[in-house]
Amino acid sequence: MIKKFICAALISTCFSSCVVVKEYEKVNINDPDMALSEKKCDKNLTTMHSYREAAVGANGGKTGGGCGCN
Amino acid sequence: MEEKLEEAAAATNKTRNLKKIILIFCVFAFAKSYSQTGQDSTKVYKKRVLETTEVDFLTSYYSQDGDNAAVSGGIGTEELTDVTGTFVVSIPLNDDDVLTIDAGVSAYTSASSSNVNPFDGGGTADPFQASSGASSSDTWANVTGSYSHSSDDRNDIWSATVSVSTEYDYFSAGVGGSYTKLFNEKNTEVSVKANVFIDSWSLIYPTELRAPENGDDDDDDDFNINNYTITGNPNYYPQFVPIESSGRNTYALGFGFSQILHKNVQGSLALDLVKQQGLLSTPFQRVYFADVENSFIEDFQLADDIERLPDNRFKIAVGGRLNWFLNERFTVRTFYRYYTDDWGIDSHTASLEVPIKIADKFTLYPSYRFYTQTAADYFAPANKNLSTSEFYTSDHDLSQYSANQFGFGVSYTDIFAKAHIWKFGLKSIDVKFYQYDRDTSFSSNIITAGFKFVMD
Repeated sequence: MIKKFICAALISTCFSSCVVVKEYEKVNINDPDMALSEKKCDKNLTTMHSYREAAVGANGGKTGGGCGCN
Repeated sequence: MEEKLEEAAAATNKTRNLKKIILIFCVFAFAKSYSQTGQDSTKVYKKRVLETTEVDFLTSYYSQDGDNAAVSGGIGTEELTDVTGTFVVSIPLNDDDVLTIDAGVSAYTSASSSNVNPFDGGGTADPFQASSGASSSDTWANVTGSYSHSSDDRNDIWSATVSVSTEYDYFSAGVGGSYTKLFNEKNTEVSVKANVFIDSWSLIYPTELRAPENGDDDDDDDFNINNYTITGNPNYYPQFVPIESSGRNTYALGFGFSQILHKNVQGSLALDLVKQQGLLSTPFQRVYFADVENSFIEDFQLADDIERLPDNRFKIAVGGRLNWFLNERFTVRTFYRYYTDDWGIDSHTASLEVPIKIADKFTLYPSYRFYTQTAADYFAPANKNLSTSEFYTSDHDLSQYSANQFGFGVSYTDIFAKAHIWKFGLKSIDVKFYQYDRDTSFSSNIITAGFKFVMD
């Protein structure tokens, strides 16, 4: 799995060398809905998922601390 | 006389040389200070990382129910409600540095937790009935402080985090740090982060296991099993061994990579590695064995033991996001994650959100999320675990299941922040609702709201 991740990262890096988006072209990329993270108001939802589900991590949410035991 | 004249001439020369040295030093020092002044007067303009103080107020109301409470060994109500309030204040300390304080409280009432002691005299003891004991409600409080520093070209970002959280039976302290590097004209970003959490439990066992004959020698509760009629197997005598260690440590290492693929598309990959050590089970969650006769007080089955889980767990999560700005009205946000751990759980998470800008200030957020996981090696439903096993649990959060979540939200944004409360302008309001249903009896819903203010 780690090898796949590294391969994917390298491939993405290779693609990136083909296209460089200039600062003045980033109007759409900088739209708040394009952020590569959850919205702040979803913080408690993500925390609920980390308590009720076994899976944690890779989503910007908490990876430790607290028991989530209720 | 000649000797005196020579000595006087030598002294005069020394003085001259010394004056020359001092003069050269002064000229050099002046030139240096002047050149520095010159540099200061030609400062390069750089945009502040954060223009002004921002305050976010986040709140939520969460409600859940189900028939598989872990406190009552996999049988019983999972009813729980939770209300949270959190302030997140981000303060620019200068052009490059930002201090963020995140302080929140969460107050919950839980029917299942109340059944840590179901024999409170308030009614017939029953795993599907809430009790009124001390464990029926609690308050969780958390404070997290973060400090971040950005380089002049904004291509390097360092941050450090300290956090503390506490509730009645649990305390957690954490520290962490991260480094982010941007390059390729800020089209590419890589990051690494590390966190350590040092947690500790206050050990609370199911009431019937707290009796002195079961290893508990404090006399701080009124429960006396001899005052009750035991049905089923009347010779209730569990071989309960109290837990020796109450600490739990978590070490997390994360790597991130994000890339702008097109002026309308960007994506990211994340890898999190998490190592946990210590008490990873919950001391008040009961287990009922298949090879031990059942004993009851009223309608409540008495614990054969508490859940026992290994004191090590290693988790790996790999996730990716891909966001696409379709046009001025629609954006597509996608997420996928694969998770695995050495307790035998594999899981997949996939989500799709399509923000729809219906007006200048209003955006709708319909979303769907799918989650599935396999069971932990140590999980079995109520009355299915064996007393001969080393590890066992009936916590259905560790069982095999799939879940669907549907969400809908509305966002109001005023970039000019015209509406004011004191010195703060209201920049945005977000309200969202999510319905979460497993393919078991468990379901939950949450209403979240976020209010963002910026200081004038």
